Amino acid sequence: MPNKLISLKEAVSGFTYDSMVYASGAALPVGSDSLVFGREIVRQGRKNIHYLAHCCCQQVNLFAALGVCDKIEGGFSGLEVYGFPSGLRRAVEAGTVVWEDYSNLSMPLRFLGAALGWPFVPTTVNIGSDIQWRSAFKPDEYSCKSKIPEVKDPFTGKICGALPVAKPELAAIHVTMADIEGNAILLGTEWSRYELARAADKVILQADFIVDTACMRQYPNLVRIPDLLVEAVVPWQLGAWPQCSVGIYDSDEEHMYMMNKMLGSADGAAEYKAKYVDGWNTQEEFLAMIGKEKIEKITTNPTTHLMDPYRKWIKTDDEIQTLMQESRFAAPTQAKQS
Amino acid sequence: MEFTRQEMMAIATGREIRDGDLCIFGVGLSMLAGYFALAYHAPNAISMTEGGVYGATPVGGLPWGIEDNRISANATCFSNAIDALGFLVSSGKCDLGIIGAAQVDKFGNVNTTGFWTDPTNPYFGPPKTRLTGSGGANDIGSGCKRVVIMMAHELKRFAAKVDYITTPGFLNGGNEREKYNFPGGGPVAIVTTLGILRPDPVTKEFMIDTYYPFSSIDEMKANTGWDLKVSPNVGITPEPTAGELEALRSVDVTGMLKKK
Repeated sequence: MPNKLISLKEAVSGFTYDSMVYASGAALPVGSDSLVFGREIVRQGRKNIHYLAHCCCQQVNLFAALGVCDKIEGGFSGLEVYGFPSGLRRAVEAGTVVWEDYSNLSMPLRFLGAALGWPFVPTTVNIGSDIQWRSAFKPDEYSCKSKIPEVKDPFTGKICGALPVAKPELAAIHVTMADIEGNAILLGTEWSRYELARAADKVILQADFIVDTACMRQYPNLVRIPDLLVEAVVPWQLGAWPQCSVGIYDSDEEHMYMMNKMLGSADGAAEYKAKYVDGWNTQEEFLAMIGKEKIEKITTNPTTHLMDPYRKWIKTDDEIQTLMQESRFAAPTQAKQS
Repeated sequence: MEFTRQEMMAIATGREIRDGDLCIFGVGLSMLAGYFALAYHAPNAISMTEGGVYGATPVGGLPWGIEDNRISANATCFSNAIDALGFLVSSGKCDLGIIGAAQVDKFGNVNTTGFWTDPTNPYFGPPKTRLTGSGGANDIGSGCKRVVIMMAHELKRFAAKVDYITTPGFLNGGNEREKYNFPGGGPVAIVTTLGILRPDPVTKEFMIDTYYPFSSIDEMKANTGWDLKVSPNVGITPEPTAGELEALRSVDVTGMLKKK
């Protein structure tokens, strides 16, 4: 397998486009998500994205607040203990973003259906509720018969629902560690990343650590996203910040609240974009923006022991820079990664 | 011992858990109620989160989410959403789920999706107030053998008709749930800050089963948006014992439930 390392800028410019059907992984409200990839999507000015989001997360909140997406299909529209996502809420209530409701089981079932090439997925959840009967995409249709149509089990004659499959054109998935070929290990819940990686037409990984392939050969059972599914790998430390990455960093409590508050108004969202989306260019500047003290705080957490088995295979920054030059995506005169 | 209404509600919810139950909790109050039960009277109950984090006890305070480091530090298994909500919940294997609600009706249908200016309008336009949506609640309400709804008892929350059925209770009552062949049995209790409601076995309409030592039937009725019936066997919920409060407070390390 080739070396698939790619810079953040090139990954977004090469693999995203306006009006695309996009999914982020794990799209957890507090945990794993490809948020730095999303920041770069915002920075590059993508519009009209149709977002398939297992859950709301700060990436969804950011996209909704800044008008990057106009349609979202998701299972949960909160930020758990961090509260209601104010950017998303503002956009949905104003009608600038339309949110189509599913649930935390039906979203991964829809990814699974797409991954298997099924026409639909039979379901015993979401039926008999307004998730079935109300469609934000088809607001005139009540009771809606085309969102989760009622079907008869051909074997028993009993009623169940038919979920539409969910097939993103691109999934950007945050992982704890990946090798240069795109084999990935995920610490913490994988949520729906296993199904999502198989449902999407194309997959980009955003990895906190790049490790040697020897690590994958030592723990092949733990590689839940194999290289053959992956187009490219973006190495990026603290890429889910201010959300958490189990084994490496905690959620940044202060920034989670501040970000959510700022996204609650158009002015605040513009200010957030200026400082935390457009205000840095390189990995070093990104880390400097978070700050040494904060990084020390969030990387001191009760899960760091989970990384112990893998530490010997982690590539250094210098090694990654060298590997970037050898990547299939490297231009002959490639500048330093940014 | 003094206790808050929130603590009474959490303990009353926790009492619904039986030793040996396989349980699923959400974040926040339901997690505290659940872990209280495990710490006190149900040490052999098994807890899981919808993220598929199994075998864990939170460390360092109430988790920020079902997936964060506080709940992941001592887990025995990291799995996924289809495993937890699918293989273990929608399969019908899970004994008990605890969910919250922004709004509930007399048949235990729950709204956590939003409020609309005119919820009777067939046109489904943008909500006046957007809430969190289902998360795993719809899946838990459809699949768990027993569901406990835990919520503040306020007039605006106890509505004759909910704006949106996020999680099905007994729909229009009676045996309507059977039409959908849900693997789960539906809500067994609505535990509130004033008392406990349980469904009539035939009509499935929720009635006052017990009220707390500090509340009353009148107070519960006054805070309910339908003509709330009273069980013929109505009684007073036993107040928390010192042991129960001690166990709850050992779980509620951040004092979330101590707020009056």
